[in-house]
Amino acid sequence: MSTFERLAQLLAAELALDPVRLVPEATLESLEIDSLRMIELAFAVEDAFGVTIGAEPAQLMARVKTLGDFAAYVDELLAAQAQGAGEAAP
Amino acid sequence: MRRVVVTGIGVVSPLGNDAASFFEALAAGRSGVRRLSGRFHERLASPVGAPVDFDAARHFDAARVRMLDRVSQLALVAAAQAVGEARGFLDGLDRARGGVFVGTGMGGAHATDDGYHTLYGEGSDRLKPFTVLLSMANAPAAWIALEHRLEGPNLTYSTACSSSAVAIGEAARRIAHGEADAMIAGGAEAPLNFGTMKAWEALRTLAPADPADPSASCKPFAKDRAGLVLGEGAAMLVLEERERAAARGVHIHAEIAGYGLATDGVHLTRPSVEGQAAAMRLALADARMAPGDIGYVNAHGTGTQANDAVETAAIKRVLGAHAARVPVSSTKSMHGHLLGAAGALEMAAAILALGRGMVPPTRNLRAPDPECDLDYVAEGARAVPLGAVMSNSFAFGGTNAVLIARAA
Repeated sequence: MSTFERLAQLLAAELALDPVRLVPEATLESLEIDSLRMIELAFAVEDAFGVTIGAEPAQLMARVKTLGDFAAYVDELLAAQAQGAGEAAP
Repeated sequence: MRRVVVTGIGVVSPLGNDAASFFEALAAGRSGVRRLSGRFHERLASPVGAPVDFDAARHFDAARVRMLDRVSQLALVAAAQAVGEARGFLDGLDRARGGVFVGTGMGGAHATDDGYHTLYGEGSDRLKPFTVLLSMANAPAAWIALEHRLEGPNLTYSTACSSSAVAIGEAARRIAHGEADAMIAGGAEAPLNFGTMKAWEALRTLAPADPADPSASCKPFAKDRAGLVLGEGAAMLVLEERERAAARGVHIHAEIAGYGLATDGVHLTRPSVEGQAAAMRLALADARMAPGDIGYVNAHGTGTQANDAVETAAIKRVLGAHAARVPVSSTKSMHGHLLGAAGALEMAAAILALGRGMVPPTRNLRAPDPECDLDYVAEGARAVPLGAVMSNSFAFGGTNAVLIARAA
């Protein structure tokens, strides 16, 4: 399963969203993911993927606008972790 | 409307345990932020904070200490200092017209944390007998009233990070409206226990420890700001009706000239330019002042990405062209974020700045942010004649409180 698919599954479970809406182009805004929801999601992503998201919610949201962005960010974290290079810059 | 003045300032802070030492450290740009080494602190992702160097045994006997959470200990010592400085404050006071208003966000958080550790961590079924009395949020205000026998209104405000600015503003109103003659008003917070810090860590608002220099971890208004640093302490003011203080000939630090209270009403945690601006406008109107009358703004300046940009925009919206000229600083860069006690400690800093004609700096601001383009006094304290000062306090929950003091 791709990172995006795993992320979509997690989002569907966490936020009780219709999976049909969870496409890479979907913006966080359109899914009503605000800074508080983002804190919950970051927590869930850390648990599910075994990564550490160091960024403040505001920094994270400045960079991650869509679900596709979010999956790419998680991939970066996974890659950085695999190299033992710590976390990716937010 | 009666006028309200400040005749006593008590401070127990990460930068010293009296008002003079506190301000001296601020002016020197010293930081009280350091690596923490208390119980379980090694399990924090970012084990930095701004603790108070405080030995309870120097102030209270053992039986008394068992009755007092750390937050009440800090509050009582700050209140006693303020009362001591406001010489004769209690003489001839109708005790029913003297009150205590305290702001605190978390209350007796050490007692709560200790209790849970005993129950869940140690598996014991026996809690300390006074756990309720230590942890209740109104304990600091109640103890101060008991200590100084003040029998008028006794209230505890909990509006998160604006709690003690609200306490001071509301206490000043009681006196202005003739419902009280003298009040002790301020805030206290003791959040450096493991449970409270972990809760803040989970909210992803705490700054990581600066790898080169932990004391520089809180960087308000800087491009590389990455969150707030928690601090503990208490600050208490003695507020009196002006004629009463003048008749006694006691030193008057300043007049409480304005108080503005406005709520964002849009989001639980995301700050709003309009909500912050509304509180500043109301405070100016209450003080009957124009933007140009404000000589210094002690900013809320938490060091989070969200607050500092929004606060900068709000200051510009309210002060207009004057915003480019007025010195604005965040003393949180040095004493950390005292949450419910922040408003009182920062109002104390602003009043001391007013009295001394000295603006404290914003420490750790080396990387400018285009979104934060005011004069943050980053280079060090600045001597400036001051006629009036503003102190901003904004909060989770959206309760924004702004206080203005005028030279007496």
